[in-house]
Amino acid sequence: MKRVFLPQNLGQLCRIMEEEPRAMVYAGGTDLLVKVHQNLIDPPSLICLDRIEDLKEVHEQGDEVMIGACSTHTSLFENPTIQSNFPVLVKALKVLGSPPIRNMGTIGGNICTASPAADTLPPLYVLEAEVEIWSQNASRRMALRQFISGPGKTCLKAGEIISGIWIKKVPEYNLHHFEKVGQRKALAIAVVSLAAILKVSNSGIIEKARLAWGSVGPMVVTSTQVEEALIGQSLSLETLQKAQPLVDEAVNPIDDIRASTWYRRAVAENLLLRLFETKYD
Amino acid sequence: MKINFVLNGKEIELVAPPDRRVIDLLREDLGMTGTKESCGAGECGICTVLIDGAAKLSCLMFAAQLEGRNVITLEGLTSEEGLHPIQEAFIQFGAVQCGFCTPGMILSALDLLKHNPNPSRKEIREGLSGNLCRCTGYQKIIDAVEAAACKMKKEPLL
Amino acid sequence: MNKKALEIGKIVPRMDAYGKVTGQEKYAADYYGENLVWAGVKRAGIPHGRIKSIHIDEARALPGVISVLTHKDVQGSNRQGVFRKDQPVLAGDKVRHCGDAVALVLAEDKGVLNRALNLITLDLEAFPGIFDPEKALEEGAPLVHEDNPQGNILLKGDLEKGDVNIAFNECDAIVEACFEVPHQEHVYLETEAGLAFFKEDGKLELVVSTQAPFRDRSEVAEALGIDPERIRITAPYCGGAFGGKDGVTVQTLLGLAALYCPDRPVKMWWNREESFMASPKRHPARLYYRLGSKSDGTLHALDVRSYYDTGPYDHLGGAVMALGLEHSGGPYRIPNVSLKAWCVYTNNPIGGAFRGFGVPQVTAAMEQMMDLLAAKLGLSPLNIRLRNALTKGNTNPIGITQLGSTALVECLGTLKEHLLWKNSQDWKSSSGPFKKRGVGLACVMHGMGYGPVVPDSAIAKIELTKEGKFRVFSGVVDMGQGNASTYLQIAGYILNQDAEHIELVLPDTERVLPSGSASASRTTYTFGNALIGAAQTLKHRILQRGADIIMNGEMEAMVLIPGHIKHLPTDKEIPLSDMAQKLDDSERVAIHHFTASVSKETPTEDPNLRLHGIPHFIFSYGVHLAYVEVDELTGEVEVKRYLAVSDCGRIMNPQVFEQQIHGGIAQGLGYALCEEFIAKEGRIITPDLATYIIPTALDMPDMDSISVESYEPTGPFGLKGAGEIAIDGPLPAIANAIADACGVRLFRSPFTPERVLKALNEKRNRGVGY
Repeated sequence: MKRVFLPQNLGQLCRIMEEEPRAMVYAGGTDLLVKVHQNLIDPPSLICLDRIEDLKEVHEQGDEVMIGACSTHTSLFENPTIQSNFPVLVKALKVLGSPPIRNMGTIGGNICTASPAADTLPPLYVLEAEVEIWSQNASRRMALRQFISGPGKTCLKAGEIISGIWIKKVPEYNLHHFEKVGQRKALAIAVVSLAAILKVSNSGIIEKARLAWGSVGPMVVTSTQVEEALIGQSLSLETLQKAQPLVDEAVNPIDDIRASTWYRRAVAENLLLRLFETKYD
Repeated sequence: MKINFVLNGKEIELVAPPDRRVIDLLREDLGMTGTKESCGAGECGICTVLIDGAAKLSCLMFAAQLEGRNVITLEGLTSEEGLHPIQEAFIQFGAVQCGFCTPGMILSALDLLKHNPNPSRKEIREGLSGNLCRCTGYQKIIDAVEAAACKMKKEPLL
Repeated sequence: MNKKALEIGKIVPRMDAYGKVTGQEKYAADYYGENLVWAGVKRAGIPHGRIKSIHIDEARALPGVISVLTHKDVQGSNRQGVFRKDQPVLAGDKVRHCGDAVALVLAEDKGVLNRALNLITLDLEAFPGIFDPEKALEEGAPLVHEDNPQGNILLKGDLEKGDVNIAFNECDAIVEACFEVPHQEHVYLETEAGLAFFKEDGKLELVVSTQAPFRDRSEVAEALGIDPERIRITAPYCGGAFGGKDGVTVQTLLGLAALYCPDRPVKMWWNREESFMASPKRHPARLYYRLGSKSDGTLHALDVRSYYDTGPYDHLGGAVMALGLEHSGGPYRIPNVSLKAWCVYTNNPIGGAFRGFGVPQVTAAMEQMMDLLAAKLGLSPLNIRLRNALTKGNTNPIGITQLGSTALVECLGTLKEHLLWKNSQDWKSSSGPFKKRGVGLACVMHGMGYGPVVPDSAIAKIELTKEGKFRVFSGVVDMGQGNASTYLQIAGYILNQDAEHIELVLPDTERVLPSGSASASRTTYTFGNALIGAAQTLKHRILQRGADIIMNGEMEAMVLIPGHIKHLPTDKEIPLSDMAQKLDDSERVAIHHFTASVSKETPTEDPNLRLHGIPHFIFSYGVHLAYVEVDELTGEVEVKRYLAVSDCGRIMNPQVFEQQIHGGIAQGLGYALCEEFIAKEGRIITPDLATYIIPTALDMPDMDSISVESYEPTGPFGLKGAGEIAIDGPLPAIANAIADACGVRLFRSPFTPERVLKALNEKRNRGVGY
């Protein structure tokens, strides 16, 4: 029998983590509990963060937005602050898992599981998000891109949790795009995904660009070469086609049960072309 | 461990191991087999119950997590007044074949309609996209939820 | 009191729906018991090998384990199977697939059960395995059953008509192709489950999710060495089955477990991964087709060689091959054919019954061949089908005269006039950027019943209860297709009763009479005919007695109305409950035995092929149309609309009919696009619902279903089978639509985005324009 703790606040969490050094932490359970039931992991105890209301807030602070790590995907999807500031994230949340999974799963959980195919990660990468790492003694921020150190690996140490995600608002970007390719339209792990935010001028010139691909490498893939190839050019099919070989250089996909290396490369390149038909303000 | 929660409108107190799956607690400890199991891994939606109104997967929840929560299973939908409009619509529109997906499907539909009382057919498909069905091809389920939404707008329930 | 009697030909909401929407209806998986024992199976884990020893001592010693059983503990034959009993309950000498059951554990709870299963170790000498049906026929291939005189052949068949060699020389156009279709997993949402217990009188009772409780009873009896009269099997509604529960799953294992703990109920419920490993799947097949015609599209010659991979056990594999063989040429006139099929043992997962039963495989091939031929001749896909479509009185490809209702031409005509067909060009030309649109057709044909040898019989029993209700004893399992409800509708119609006055007893070997399996599209046709007889007999008897009671009455002046009988000239009514009191117990029950007619024609003298079903007699028909959009950037294929026009005779309940068509289309769409079952060297690498992908609500289009309402005189109120035919169409219709959309044809399914993108890429590289 495993012990299951439900701390009501960060103070209680602290105490329990001290008393139960081998406990594993979860919020929604949509990743961790599957592994427990499949006997892939066997922690003696578990800590559920679901009752810590402090970890669920979303608020604006200056030119940043702070997202509580235990915010469920559904709550973020429905949140007006997230909707108005980060459409790229909302588009990803819309196709993550399924409705019950979105009701249970949290953004902090998605980050800490750090799957190369995670749906919130490409948007968070293009938004240059930072995570807030909390422990009893200290709180620090770190760029998400540094926080995730490998497939399924993060810089989280014992006694630490992610408490929040900080994102600087990006009002100058007027094109927010996300596409996920899976084996079906719901309940699907991404085979390739692309998140992109662009600033496109009135005359159709790309002034700024940030792109990130999911599921085509051990971690989310970004490429300054691709971005630089787009900046200063018109948002046209020709521009995008010219940048495709640079995508090929940037990605490093594997063969697995869902898709081959060849397919992932081909689609990672092709998804770039979809930017041509994406509406922007 | 002792767990206190509200189940289908009634307060209950149970003793259960904290890591007992909620699906097992419902089916085996409480004898309520209306909630079904099909994959045990969050991939099918069959075990869907409502926790504080939100559709969640009972195969991926531990008993300890029920503390203080308001839980609704399919059994809780039928009242003395009769069937819920979603249940009625499922019958009328032929949305039930083998019926094994029906409990989870109805509860997901309930969650959907609470959030979006006027969904398009596409939105209904999205709302039910986490509930697999192998018999119906989904169309009559969409028809039923569409009809129920109509009825519920005219006669709002508590 | 004006109660509305049940009608046929109208939508009557299903009577099982209430119990299912309230959660009250119990499936086999919902049965538990006091002091319950859990039973579970240790499986082989390797695809082929000899069992040297089975180490169970550690497991036996685990606290909470009641017993651990092996083949040594099986008293009977330890063999199960429908046609050929080649599968052990618990393997003794060899294991032939990874899912072979080797040991059975009985434990106090699921936790102990799982720990005990992990403590059992198997000492196995691995043998080379065989994983391809053509390779399995080669000299020196590993033998799956060494005692099989035909090597790795379970069944083979050869049907010849005319002379194909001469005929091909007379053809103006010939097309040739090889098609490969994979395993398909049923994914019934209720996995295999049951409960077993001994009653005080020593009778063994089983509650099981099954399609054939009477056959199960014989199998349990023979395999375990029990008198069948001492076994009772009840079959609640299945949470889906689709053929996967047509044959032993948990029954013999449960019976065995109960024998070793006779004082307590035993439950077995396979989890999803175990269901994947142990259950039968649709046979993968490789189909070599050669089709020739005259320049106007008249079909002239067909040569087919088809190889079905049946895995290690019979499991109705021979019958699947035979039905496929029979349907290889589709619903067309073809004067010269040479059709060959082999059903071959391998060490892959078990191939068995799955809705469609061989016909999806051959239709996948034949309907693509029709489009290939049409393209070569410059004919439209619709016209080439119209030119060759069977009509009543024609001879089908294997030489059987179409004596039953045959409304394929009407189906094609209806499609031709339908807006979806008429608007297809406009729709295709208005696709968006990076999308290509296409439409595709497929004709379908599906024979009903068991063929000329195995009797397709049912015995209906109906009782006027003492409370004045009519109780229908359903002999055929309702696995979700709604036949139970339709039986009530039939009885209600004939007896002029409303739903309040009809009740149902679900299949139970103790209470209902043997009526065959829920399979072969026969469940309403055969039992329905039996029920009509029984209901009419009972009606007649009640009215005669009523006339006697009234004394001045003539039987012709008596009618049944909801809850009563009535003398029309005087308006005198007698409540049915009163009538029930006046009748002797033996008069309150009527039984009627019906056996479906069979074809008198003999396209084959081979007794084995005849036994396995060739030929069938009554066929349903249809034509399907798929609207498809292909994404050129990702290869994703989306079915945007789907139309099925069907000839299933008269429709008894349009809603139930449509349920079958919709469901068949959905499973066919999955078979075509996303359900890729992969086994490498016999090991399943798509072992669960995360890796085996079935369609969600967002993957299915809106579907249109039309019935042309022909009339089948041999069917109950003119009905023909409708349970399987819809699954036969989607794969070829979608393949044809993809070819129409972007000029690529995929010969290997499913048509995953990767396969499509690869094909598009290869086409571009060949420089055929983009």
